[in-house]
Amino acid sequence: MKSEELKNREYKYGFTTDIENFKAPKGLSEETIRFISKIKKEPQWMLDWRLKAFNRLKVLKEPNWQKPKYPKINYQDLYYYSAPKSMKDKPQSLDEVDPKLIETYNKLGIPLNEQKRLSGVAVDAVFDSVSVATTFKGELDKKGIIFCPISEAIQKHPDLVKKYLGSVIPISDHFFATLNSAVFTDGSFVYIPPNTRCPMELSTYFRINASETGQFERTLIIADKGSYVSYLEGCTAPMRDENQLHAANVELIALDDAEIKYSTVQNWYPGDKEGVGGIYNFVTKRGACRGKNSKISWTQVETGSAITWKYPSCILQGDNSVGEFYSIAITNNYQKADTGTKMIHLGKNTKSKIISKGISAGQADNTYRGLVDIGVKAKNSRNYTQCDSLLMGNKCGAHTVPYIKNKNSSSTVEHEATTSKINEDQLFYCNQRGLNQEEAVSLIVNGFCKEVLQQLPMEFAVEAQKLVSISLEGSVG
Amino acid sequence: MEQLFNIDFKNISSSSKKEALERRKNFELFLKTGLPNKKDENWKFSDLNSIISKNFKEITNYDDLRIDEEIELINDFDHNHIILINGVFKSCDISFEEKEKVKIDSLKSLEGLSNQSSNNLQNLNQALSLGGFNLEVQKDYKCKKPIIIYNYFNSNLENKIINNSNQIKLNQNSELILIEYNISEKCKFLKNTFEKIYMNKGSELKTFVIQKTKSNGYFYKNISGSQDYNSTYQKFILSSGLKFNKLEINMDLEKENASCYILSGLSLGKEEHQEIKTRINHMAPNCKSYQKIKNVLENDSKGVYQGKIFVKDNAQKTDAYQLSKALILDDKAEFNAKPELEIYADDVKCSHGSTSGSIDEDAIHYLMTRGIELPMAKKLLINGFINEIFENIPEEKLKKFLEKNIIEQVNAI
Repeated sequence: MKSEELKNREYKYGFTTDIENFKAPKGLSEETIRFISKIKKEPQWMLDWRLKAFNRLKVLKEPNWQKPKYPKINYQDLYYYSAPKSMKDKPQSLDEVDPKLIETYNKLGIPLNEQKRLSGVAVDAVFDSVSVATTFKGELDKKGIIFCPISEAIQKHPDLVKKYLGSVIPISDHFFATLNSAVFTDGSFVYIPPNTRCPMELSTYFRINASETGQFERTLIIADKGSYVSYLEGCTAPMRDENQLHAANVELIALDDAEIKYSTVQNWYPGDKEGVGGIYNFVTKRGACRGKNSKISWTQVETGSAITWKYPSCILQGDNSVGEFYSIAITNNYQKADTGTKMIHLGKNTKSKIISKGISAGQADNTYRGLVDIGVKAKNSRNYTQCDSLLMGNKCGAHTVPYIKNKNSSSTVEHEATTSKINEDQLFYCNQRGLNQEEAVSLIVNGFCKEVLQQLPMEFAVEAQKLVSISLEGSVG
Repeated sequence: MEQLFNIDFKNISSSSKKEALERRKNFELFLKTGLPNKKDENWKFSDLNSIISKNFKEITNYDDLRIDEEIELINDFDHNHIILINGVFKSCDISFEEKEKVKIDSLKSLEGLSNQSSNNLQNLNQALSLGGFNLEVQKDYKCKKPIIIYNYFNSNLENKIINNSNQIKLNQNSELILIEYNISEKCKFLKNTFEKIYMNKGSELKTFVIQKTKSNGYFYKNISGSQDYNSTYQKFILSSGLKFNKLEINMDLEKENASCYILSGLSLGKEEHQEIKTRINHMAPNCKSYQKIKNVLENDSKGVYQGKIFVKDNAQKTDAYQLSKALILDDKAEFNAKPELEIYADDVKCSHGSTSGSIDEDAIHYLMTRGIELPMAKKLLINGFINEIFENIPEEKLKKFLEKNIIEQVNAI
C-alpha cells in the first residue's frame, strides 16, 4: 500500500553532522553573555546592550497565554553558543570549510558552491551560530548593498546597527525577545542604500545542528528611501529526541517609498509521530513602515516545528504605508501552531491585508491569532482579513482568535473566517480522474493554499508546494 | 476595594446561619481580587474596575425593601407580567395562561445556581444576592401571551448595588416569550445578575431585553444555560441607553438538533459602553447556532463583541455562524471585536465575519439623488441597518413595538 509506505517515510532532513562543536559554558548567566560578546569581538557598547537586556530579563516572566502548552524550559540547561570548531579561525574561501559541512548543505540542496551562479541566490548560511560563507558579495558591494553576518556589521557598520537595532523590537519587549537580545549569536544584516533595487533575492538558511543548544539569531533589514529588497529564509533541523528552543528576532525597517518582502519556509523537525522531540519555534518578527508610501510584506509557509508560536507584525507609521501578511500553517501528528499577525495602523491612509490558511491533521492543533488595531489618527485606513481553516479528521483542532479594534469613523475593517473539511465532491472528482486519495488531497490542499504560494519567489514556491504535500503524508486514510 | 464597597451584612436576610456564613465567605473571596480589570482576558476591552472606580466613590448594598411604586404597563399588546422593583420580586399576573401551567415565584435559595468560581462577580453575587424570580413552564404547554418582566429601578438606588439571581425552566415541548423591560429613574447604580436557563426536549424560549429610557445604570448580567434535543433559544438584545452593560451568555447545546440564536441591535450614544460576550458550546452533532450583532456607535461610545463558538470533537454537522457589524459615526467612538472559533470536529460549517466602518457614501449619495436630505438619508440607513435583526419575528404586534422603540432611539441621534 502506498499510504503505508508514506506513513513510514522519515523526516528527510533528519541527519546530524559530526563536527566538533565549540560551545559556551552551559547556562544563562552574565558570564555566558560576556563569553559570547568576547568571542564575537564585540565593542563595549554591544556588550552593555546585551547586559541591559539580561538585567531586564531577570524581572520578566515567560508568557503563558498561548494555546499550545509546553513543559517548562530549563534555561540553565542550555548552551547559548555553539560553533563548529574548525570555524574558530574563519576560512578564507569555501575550500577551507570542513567538507562535512559542505556535504550537509548539499543534502539540503543549498546552492552554495557551483550552483550559486545558476540559481542566482546569494546565501548567508548560518550553521548553528556562525555564518559560514557569504556568496555574491562582490556584486552586492558594487551597488552599495550591505549583506553580511550581524556580528560583522556590529564591527564594520556600528552607526547603522546602533541606530536601528532594537528600534522595532525594544530590548524589554517580552520574555523571548529580551532573551534573544541578551544572547543572540548571529544572523543577517541587510542595508539597501537609497533608490536601489536589490538585484537578487537574498537568502539565509538556518539550521540547528548541535544538540542542547538554542538558536538565537538576530536579523536586521533596513531599506532606505526608495529601495527594494526581497529576503528569503529557510529552515531545517536534524532529528533529535529532546525539544530544542529557537528564539529569533527579526527586525525590518522600511523608510520612505521603500519595500521589503520577507518570505519564510520553515521546516524544522516537527517531532516524531508520537509527538516526541521537535523544535520550539518562538520567534519575534516585526517590521516598521517608518516612511511614507512604504511597504512590508510577510509570507510564511510553516510546516515544521513541534510548536510554532509567532506573529510577524507590521507597524504602519508612515502615511499611505502598506502591510501584508500571507501565511500557510500546516500541522500534522502532534504539532501545534499558534500563529498570525499584528497590523497596527498609526498613519493616515494605511492599508493592510491578511490571508491566512491553516491546515490541521492527525492530533494537531492550529490557531490563528491576530490583531488589527486602527488608531485614532489613522484616517481612511483599511484592513481586509481572511482566515480559512481546513480540518482533516476529528482529532485535530482549528481555532481562530482575531482581535479587531477600530477607533475612527473613516476607516473600514473587514474580517472573515471559515472552517471546513475537504469537499467530498472535489475528492470524488479527482479520484474519478485516476488520482489516488493522497494525490487528490495534496492537489486540493495546494489549491486551498494557492493565494499564499503565489506570493513566494519562484525558487521557494516549488519547494513550498512539495513541502505542503510531504507534511500531510499519512494523514489521509 | 474594601474602601469602595461599604457593605452592611446585617441588612441581608439569610434563611440560615450557614447561608449567612457562606455570604461572608464569598464576600471575602470577592475582596481578594476585586472587580475584574483588563488584565483579565474576558475583560480586556471593558475594564470594569477602572469604569466603576471612576464613577463611584462608595458603593453600599440595597436594603430598603419598602416598595410602593405604581408602574405604567405597556398597552401595545396583551401580555402577562412580573414586576420587580429594585431587583426585588413584587408581584405577578399571568391571567392569560391556564392555571398551574406556568409557575412563577420569588427565588430565595441560592443553592444549585451556577458555579463559575473563576468569575469574581459570581462571588459578589452569592454574597449579596437578594434573589429574584423562578419561572417554570409545564410540559407541553405553549404560553398564549408573552410575559413581560418590568424591571423598575427607583431613585433610592443612588450609589447602591443590587445583586439578583433568576432561574428559568422550560419543560418538554413548552414555549415561552419573555421580555425584560428596564425602566429606571435618574440615579447611578450597579446591578449584578446571574441567570440560569434549563431547556428540555423540544422547548422554545424567545427572550428580549429592552431599555425604556436612558439610564445611569451599570449592569452586568451572566446567563448560562443548557439545551436538550430539538430545543430552540433565541435572545434579542436591544438594551441601548445604559451607561455600562455587559451581557455574558454561555449556552451549552448538549443534545442533537438544539439551536441557539443571539441577535443584537444597539445604538449607543454619549458615554455609553456595551459589551456582548458569548460562548456557544456545541457538544452534540447537528446543532445550530447563529449570532448577529449590530452596533451603531455615536459620540464617544464604545461597543464590544467577544463571541466564541466551541465545537467538541463529536459535534459533527455543526452549523455555526457569527457576524458582527458596526457603524462608527464619530471619531471618538470605538468598536472592538474578538470573534473566536475553537473547533475540534471536521465535518462542520463554521464561519464568522466582522466589519466596522462608516455609513456607505454611495448609499447616501443614492438617497440624496432621490431628493432625500442628508440627515433623513442617514436615519433611513441606520434604521435599515438595525432593523434587519427583526426579520425573523413572526409576532406582528411585538415586532411593531420593537421597531417603534428602535426608531425612537435613532431619532435621538
